[in-house]
Amino acid sequence: MDWNQFDLNPKVIAALKKADIKSVKEILNLSGADLQRLTKLSSADIQCLLKTVSYTLRRNSMLTALQLYQDKDHLTSQHQKLSLGCSVLDSLLKGGIPLVGITELAGESSAGKTQISLQLCLCVQYPYKYGGLESGAVYICTEDAFPSKRLQQLIDQQHKLRADVPAEIIQKIKFGNSIFVEHAADLDAFHNCITKRISLLLTRGMVRLVVIDSIAALFRCEFGVSDSVTKARYLQTFGAQLHSLSTKFRTPIMCINQQSSNTFFHSLVDNRVIPALGISWANQLLMRLMVSRVLQPEQSSGAASHHAGSVRTLRVVFAPHLPLSFCYYTVKLEGVKGIK
Amino acid sequence: PALRARLVAAGFQTAQELLETGPCGLSKEIGISKEEALEALQVVRQECHGDAARTTGGSGTTRKCTALELLEEEQAQGFIITFCSALDNILGGGVQLTKITEICGAPGVGKTQLCMQLAVDVQIPECFGGVAGEAVFIDTEGSFMVDRVVDIATACVQHCQLIAEAHQEEDHLKAMETFSLESILSHIYYFRCHDYIELLAQVYLLPDFLSEHSKVRLVVIDGIAFPFRHDFEDLSLRTRLLNGLAQQLIIIANDHKSAVVLTNQMTTRIGQSQSTLVPALGESWGHAATVRLIFHWDNSQRLATLYKSPSQKESTIPYHIT
Repeated sequence: MDWNQFDLNPKVIAALKKADIKSVKEILNLSGADLQRLTKLSSADIQCLLKTVSYTLRRNSMLTALQLYQDKDHLTSQHQKLSLGCSVLDSLLKGGIPLVGITELAGESSAGKTQISLQLCLCVQYPYKYGGLESGAVYICTEDAFPSKRLQQLIDQQHKLRADVPAEIIQKIKFGNSIFVEHAADLDAFHNCITKRISLLLTRGMVRLVVIDSIAALFRCEFGVSDSVTKARYLQTFGAQLHSLSTKFRTPIMCINQQSSNTFFHSLVDNRVIPALGISWANQLLMRLMVSRVLQPEQSSGAASHHAGSVRTLRVVFAPHLPLSFCYYTVKLEGVKGIK
Repeated sequence: PALRARLVAAGFQTAQELLETGPCGLSKEIGISKEEALEALQVVRQECHGDAARTTGGSGTTRKCTALELLEEEQAQGFIITFCSALDNILGGGVQLTKITEICGAPGVGKTQLCMQLAVDVQIPECFGGVAGEAVFIDTEGSFMVDRVVDIATACVQHCQLIAEAHQEEDHLKAMETFSLESILSHIYYFRCHDYIELLAQVYLLPDFLSEHSKVRLVVIDGIAFPFRHDFEDLSLRTRLLNGLAQQLIIIANDHKSAVVLTNQMTTRIGQSQSTLVPALGESWGHAATVRLIFHWDNSQRLATLYKSPSQKESTIPYHIT
C-alpha cells in the first residue's frame, strides 16, 4: 500500500511502514490502543490517521434522497427495473425486478417458477426502452436439466407476448445466443461457478441477469438437521458473494426456492407451506415472491373463473418498496401473462 | 521561549501530547532536566484546565453536573414521533434523541419501513410537534428504495397540510411553505456501505459530518448485522469492532443530540427442545442499545414488543404498514 497517496504527516507514514501495516482494512480492524502500541504514535495522531484514511475511502459517497429520486440515468437510477414482459405483473412489482439485490421466487412445484425465470431471461435482452437491460442471462441449473425445448417455444412466440415491441427489434435479437446455461450439482461446483465463471461473464458485460434454479436443491441432500450451523454459514457466504456481485455489476439475481413443510422455523406467511432454507437465507434477500396454484380466498368472480384450473397466484411476501399484494396469472404458449 | 523552541523542534504539536508523555519522557526527548520538565507540564496543565472550563462539549474534557441538571436535560429532550400512536406510547413519546434504539425482526416485518418513516418524521416542523431536524441514512443492505420514501413523505406532508388547514394558525401555514416533498428528500443524507470496513470508516467520519450539518437529529444504520454476519471467522474481532462501533455511536448520539436507530436481524437459537428467534450479533451486542424493539408476526398480524427500555415497561402492540 502506497501510504504517500494519503494526506498524512510524514512521521505517521514512517511509523506505518515500520509497523508493517499494509492496508486500510488492517488499520480499521485494529483498536486505537493496538495502533498506538504498534506505531508508537500519540492518540491525536491516531485519530487524525483514522479520519484521513476513512475520508479517502468514503470520499464522494454522500447522496441526498432527492438526488436518488431525480436520478433518471439508466446506469445508476433506482427507477430502472427489469421488466417481466407483462404489464400486469410489472404493475404488481411497480416496474419489475430491482437491479441490485437478491430476489427470491418461492413456491410449490409446477406453479410456474421456471416459466417466469425463462421469461426473464428473454426480457433482459430487450433494449432499456422496453424494460430490458440489453444483455444476456446466466441460468444455473442445480437439479433438472435446462428446459431448452420450452425456451425455444418461448423464443418463437416472443412477438405474441411482447406486442408492445416493434417486430423488427424482436427479430434482431438473437435470444438463444445470450443465455448461458451452467450446471452445478453440489456446493463446491456452485461456489466455483459463482466465483469464477459468472464473474467473468459479468465483467465482460455479457450478462445482466443471474438465475439460480434452484437454491434449495443444493442444500437439501447434504445437510441434516444437526448441521444447521454449517448450513447457515454456507448460506451466508453464498448470499454475501451473490450480493456483492449484484451490487458491483448492477445485476439482479433471481433465486428459485422450493417449499418446505418444515415447521421448525417461524412461518412468515399465513399458510402452512413456507419457503425452504429458513431465516439465515431470508436475511440475505431484498425481495421475496411466492407463486402458488391455490387461488386466494378473496377471488374475483369474473376473470379468474374463465381460466379455472390453470390460474396461478403471484404474491409479494416482502419487499421494501411494495405492499403485500398479489395478482393472478396463467402460463400460455407464449409465456407467463397476468390476469387483470 | 527557548523551551518552546525545543518542544516544537522535538515534534510536539498539542498540549495533549505533552501531558501524555510525562516528565521523564519529556526530559529525555528535549534534553532538559527533570525539574524543568515538571514545571513545563504544570504550566501546560493549568492552561488546559483553563481552556476546558471555557469550552463546552469538547471531546476529552469532563463536565461535572448534578443529577438534577441531567434530569431536566432529559425531560426537555425531544422525541421523534412515528405517527403510530400505539408505538409512540410504548416508547414513551417516540424515538428518543441522544439514545440508541435498536429494531430487531425477521425479514419483511417492517424494520426498513420504520426507518424510512423516521427519516421523514424527524423533519416535521416544531409547530406540528416534530423536532425539525435532518436525517442521515446509512444503508448496508441496499433496501432503501427511494420510491417508498416518496410515498411516506407525500403522506406526511398531506397529514400536516390537513392539520394546518384545520387549525389555520399562522406558524402552521408558514411551516407548510417549506415542508414539501423536495425539501424532505433533500435533507435525507444517504450513504451506502458495502462491507464492514466501509461502515467503520463512515462512522469515523460521522462526527465531522454532523458538525457540518448541525441540524441532523437522526442517524439510521439500516442493517448493522448484515456486514458483520458473513465471512467473519474471527468472532472476537467482530465483538471488539462492534463494541467500538457502539461506543462511537453513543458519543455521537450524546454530543450531537441525535437519535441513533439501528436495525438488526434475527437468528435462531437452538435450545434444548425447541428453537427461538433471538436478535443477531450475540449477547454482548445486546448491551449497546438503550432501547430495543422487536418486531414479529403473530399469524398475519404484525406486533412490536418493547423489549428493553430504561424508562418504559415491556409491552406489545399491533401495527400495520400502510
